[in-house]
Amino acid sequence: MSDDQTVETTTVSSAVTTPVATEKPAGLVSRRTLLAGAAAVVGSNITIINKSKAATTLKVLAWPGYDEKPVVGEFEEANKIKVEFKNYIGGEQMLQYFAQVPKGTFDAIISDAEYIQKFVAQGALDPMDPKAFKNLADYHPKYQNFPLLSAPEGKTWGIATRFSCYGISYNKKHVSPEEVDTWQCLLLPKYKGKIVMFDWYLPNMSNASLAVFPNNEAPYDITDAQLAEVKNWMMKVRPQIRSFAAQNQGLVSALANEDALLTPYGDMDIEMTVAGYDNFVSHIPKEGSIRWTEAACLCKDSTNKEMALKWIDYMSGAKVQSNLVYTKGFKARAPNMKVTQFWNAEQTKLMSYVPDPAAPGKMIVETMIEKSYPRGLPVKQPDSAWIGIYNAFKTA
Amino acid sequence: MSSVVARPETKRRGANLAKWISIGVPSLFFGAFFLGPLIYLILLGFWRVENYRIVESYSFDNYIDIAQNLFAGSNYGYAIAQTLYVAATTAIAAVALCYPMALAIVFAVPQRYQRLVVLLAVAPFWTSYILRVYAWQVLLARKGVINAALSYVGFNEASIEFLYTQTATRIGLIHYLAPILLVILYVAINNVDRTLIEAARQIGATRLQVLWRVIVPLSRTGIILSLSFSALVACGDVLSGSILGGGAGQSLIGKLPLFADMIIRAYTSSTNLPNTAALAILLVVIMLLILGVAYWLTERFRINVK
Repeated sequence: MSDDQTVETTTVSSAVTTPVATEKPAGLVSRRTLLAGAAAVVGSNITIINKSKAATTLKVLAWPGYDEKPVVGEFEEANKIKVEFKNYIGGEQMLQYFAQVPKGTFDAIISDAEYIQKFVAQGALDPMDPKAFKNLADYHPKYQNFPLLSAPEGKTWGIATRFSCYGISYNKKHVSPEEVDTWQCLLLPKYKGKIVMFDWYLPNMSNASLAVFPNNEAPYDITDAQLAEVKNWMMKVRPQIRSFAAQNQGLVSALANEDALLTPYGDMDIEMTVAGYDNFVSHIPKEGSIRWTEAACLCKDSTNKEMALKWIDYMSGAKVQSNLVYTKGFKARAPNMKVTQFWNAEQTKLMSYVPDPAAPGKMIVETMIEKSYPRGLPVKQPDSAWIGIYNAFKTA
Repeated sequence: MSSVVARPETKRRGANLAKWISIGVPSLFFGAFFLGPLIYLILLGFWRVENYRIVESYSFDNYIDIAQNLFAGSNYGYAIAQTLYVAATTAIAAVALCYPMALAIVFAVPQRYQRLVVLLAVAPFWTSYILRVYAWQVLLARKGVINAALSYVGFNEASIEFLYTQTATRIGLIHYLAPILLVILYVAINNVDRTLIEAARQIGATRLQVLWRVIVPLSRTGIILSLSFSALVACGDVLSGSILGGGAGQSLIGKLPLFADMIIRAYTSSTNLPNTAALAILLVVIMLLILGVAYWLTERFRINVK
């Protein structure tokens, strides 16, 4: 890499560029601007871009993982370009970052599928031509035409890059597969104080919504009365909860030490296997569970759209997705079903891309997709109403 | 050869300059790194978020929302009660544990070794707090080191379930606080006038009487300082409550989260910085009240040396 391709982007926590500040002539920075700028500093670490060098870099707002060498290295080398990542750790944080930087700061975004409509409403994204992405032919059918990525207007706003499902992960030495086929197992007296829960309202409440209203394809689109029923169900679950974990480590520790025997959180079978425990299984109950999806999107104000599209196309490939969903610290699933070509038998089995004994002709991962519903955002109530209920559940 | 003698006026100017520097530098530091951020936090608590941007609004909406959720909805009041309970019991337990250790260093260790012993006692402070918390997780878990040891000596069924309770939270906090409290209490006890101790002994006081009627009263400023410092740290800490306390650990008053934990979760769930700032201000007010009580106690029991 030559010097002029060196990173010229600095991530700082002590400086900020806000849209308001950049619109004002020098010397006329108002108190309001200064305070708003300070607000942005506190709320986020903003990436300041040296625009003179911007053309030699591609700037992407993304979850962690996309910036790892096995994921992005081949693209950078092939295109002689540096991909700059600004990482976030939550959809709300992503929207806040994006809102607080000047237009054109990012060329592409990795967004959770449910937030794409918010970006579209802000006029932040350009639709893409699905025919330009030949890898889509290798995608699972549900991801070739995924509603959350094609709404509104039926245009393609994002290309799925990775996903996975919530469900119940359990210790098979103490919990039977029959029991975990329903969310109601969380209420069984014998599991009182034996459940560890990931500490985030959105998946927990939507899984509770499915427990109360089985196989509702829109578990977030419920009335106030239905939400009250969901709350009642959660309150019954509350005495069963031993602990809340803010990170996967907390779940792994509680399960490994048998402080907890099950968790309403998917994929812990993978985490536990990687940690050296082979007695854990994950299962999607018959009422269904929630599935999260990340997608690559093209920024409308990008100054490097051609390269951004090239990167999005690259991210749809089987090889890169096989690395993306199998990083050292995080495992997920790939929508491109040809990822198995790049995995050994052990990896393929661990990631559930093997025949499902319960559904002939299908892989386990396909069954998971069919039994799960896309994660969304509350529709009929503000987010704060759901967060309030979750806090009430936690403090009950 | 004539000697240069500074004129009184020059001396006065020099003294004035030194005075302004000695006052000005700390004031600037205090203003930039404490007062400024605090004022900003207060201002932020009155703003709101619109379309994921922070907007100035100067309304009490965030505080009204918190007030409405004190004992309903989010139940912040219960979390505050849990915090105060855990903070108070942590402070008492930490001082009760560290005071005898400080006493032992002052009276049982030869003076020439005392600094070395204090240094060794403070050594854990130089390791990462988060590592210590994770270490306690390994020790306290159901299949952890302590229960494994119990099982080894014959207690086959693990019987101690400290992890994911507020007892575990307190253990993490006390381990964090102990080195600091040891120094505070060591200094306080070491400054007790030895002639008063000898006088008490000469008029027939037992060792226990000397402790309760001379040493403890004369080191009470250090005790109050240690208690208030421990309570303040416990109020603001998140790690022990989250990792060892399990986010909403059991205590005598119930399975409730700590208020600091709720503040963090409020931000990560909604990214509503103004609302989070208002919650943080509430915590600051609680801490100021604790400081106020500590100040009152210190004044109330001030030692008058005449």
